[in-house]
Amino acid sequence: MKGKDIYKIWAPSEAKWTQWLRPVPFVQIDNELKINEFCNFFIPTINYIKEIPTDTAIIVDIPSYSGIKEGVALARIGFRPIPLYNGTNEQPGAMPVVDNNSIEMGLIWGAMELEKIKIENDAPPVFLLDSNRMHRFKMDVSVFDNSWDIYDQDMPSAEYFLKNGIRKIVVRGEKIQKDLRKILYKFQKKKIKILFTDGYKEPEEIVVKKPPHEKNS
Amino acid sequence: MKLIRIPKERYEDYRFNVMFDCYKWDPQFLDNNTIAKYALVISKEEHEELERLTEEIDYETRKAEGILNQHLEITKTLYLPKKIKKELKIMDNYDPDKHIRLMRYDFHPTIEGKWAVSEVNSDVPGGFAEASLMPQAAIDTLGTNKFWYKNFGDILTKAIATKVVPGGRIMLVHCTSYSDDRQVMQFLGDKLKNMGFSVIYAAADHVRFLDQEAISILSGNEGKIDAIVRFTPLEWLIDIKPKHWEGYFNTTTTSCNHPIAIYAQTKRFPLVWDRIEKLGGKLTTWRKLLPETHEVKEVKNKSGYIYKPACGRVGEKISIKEACKEDEYEKIRKDVKKHPKQYIAQKQFNSKPLLSEEGEKYHVCIGSYSVEGKHAGYYARISKIPRIDSYAADIPVLIDNAK
Repeated sequence: MKGKDIYKIWAPSEAKWTQWLRPVPFVQIDNELKINEFCNFFIPTINYIKEIPTDTAIIVDIPSYSGIKEGVALARIGFRPIPLYNGTNEQPGAMPVVDNNSIEMGLIWGAMELEKIKIENDAPPVFLLDSNRMHRFKMDVSVFDNSWDIYDQDMPSAEYFLKNGIRKIVVRGEKIQKDLRKILYKFQKKKIKILFTDGYKEPEEIVVKKPPHEKNS
Repeated sequence: MKLIRIPKERYEDYRFNVMFDCYKWDPQFLDNNTIAKYALVISKEEHEELERLTEEIDYETRKAEGILNQHLEITKTLYLPKKIKKELKIMDNYDPDKHIRLMRYDFHPTIEGKWAVSEVNSDVPGGFAEASLMPQAAIDTLGTNKFWYKNFGDILTKAIATKVVPGGRIMLVHCTSYSDDRQVMQFLGDKLKNMGFSVIYAAADHVRFLDQEAISILSGNEGKIDAIVRFTPLEWLIDIKPKHWEGYFNTTTTSCNHPIAIYAQTKRFPLVWDRIEKLGGKLTTWRKLLPETHEVKEVKNKSGYIYKPACGRVGEKISIKEACKEDEYEKIRKDVKKHPKQYIAQKQFNSKPLLSEEGEKYHVCIGSYSVEGKHAGYYARISKIPRIDSYAADIPVLIDNAK
């Protein structure tokens, strides 16, 4: 199976929200995939959402391929997982700051699992992010910085969410990362409720503070 | 010039091909699909006219930058960032024969039946794969032999091959955190690799300079490099700390583009045309195609002008009222008032929209490339608003075989 075939499993054309699925890691599957034997793929149990609320989207922002595992688990409940991974692979031989290879392996595993699950075409979305994406620590200038940010253009607009019945967004993560905060703040301004869960507790509504760069605007 | 619909039943496959086989890794921008459902077909006559105009205007640009490089006193008016200004004097060793000069001129059809050029992407023009592979994908999808296209990638790589030793190491310098940059570099890198070159994907701070020659310090890829293809804009490059970037300005390593590109990259370039012409330069084609351009203060209270940031890219911060979103127009006006020297005022041209088969109007921007002074293909975008920005969709340009 090639990257394009794996992408098509994640993004069936008749399903909603799939136009936001980024092709970057799927393209790289064909180019430079390195097998990481330490990846541990299994479907976790979800405790923070019991049933499928039609007015809620989820953003899973946890490290590396664990977001894919959780995305597949949420697909079993009835959500449509939408990977937003956008990091590139390093130049061969160079030391990267983020391991994007494991994400690519996770997407292959996830595609095989998704083929066993029936997801409704109008299922609410769960967007998948790698919280390691913003690791910017470079022990030396010679390392390859393939960290990345999520920007508002990478997701649907608040208007699109509202038009499609999404009034709440649950962020599942360890914290709200600063790139995501900028996007969530804009959603909040348009009256979309933002909730947060660490994966154990029930999601609780939060108020997203104004990001620093927006202070003067 | 006309829009031809990619057949509805084949569009989905076409979009997949463009993403996976044509390096289009950013097919969505907010709620907008950035892969057009159309191909843009230009007539043989339109192509020949654009080809001629591109080569004429490009000749003028290259001549002008040579004059500016020898008369730095004129460049004060360009109001370049201080850090760049400081390095201009070391570009006195610039030898165009050593480097590869690549530019893209953005043409727009106007309601007067003429062409207007809105800008030249002089420093780091993008759209490489869209200009090279998308037209073939469209031709295959349309299943016709009525059209042809100029393959930009073939022309650029051929130009690189004439100046870099066979099998040489070429560093593709870009912002490694942006997949949008990598897609441009990956297209070029794969092509160069197929030609036998050794390719290094790296960031601007992975280059050091020794005796004006570029050296890679990227882990596992250290050593001399034979050429630099840069996709990191100069205004971003100069923000890198610690400062090791000055070597880009006087390197003898083949560069595409060399920082000489900054003179025409700034939108304030037209403000020094009179002085360039006094020194022997000719800007006749530029004057014919670029709408009247002035200092902000000169158009105070005059209507019909828009403001453009001197260092703007992808249509950002251009004050076309009907194209601005929410409070964007007011924000731009405020910024212009605060920093008038960082903007120019330009007469707004009347873009002539094309009508699709479905009766929708689309404004068109045809980016026409030049490589080493020769026309090198097209990268076009369409938009429902008269500003071609990040919301616009990429559209392949096909040339009609028919007379």
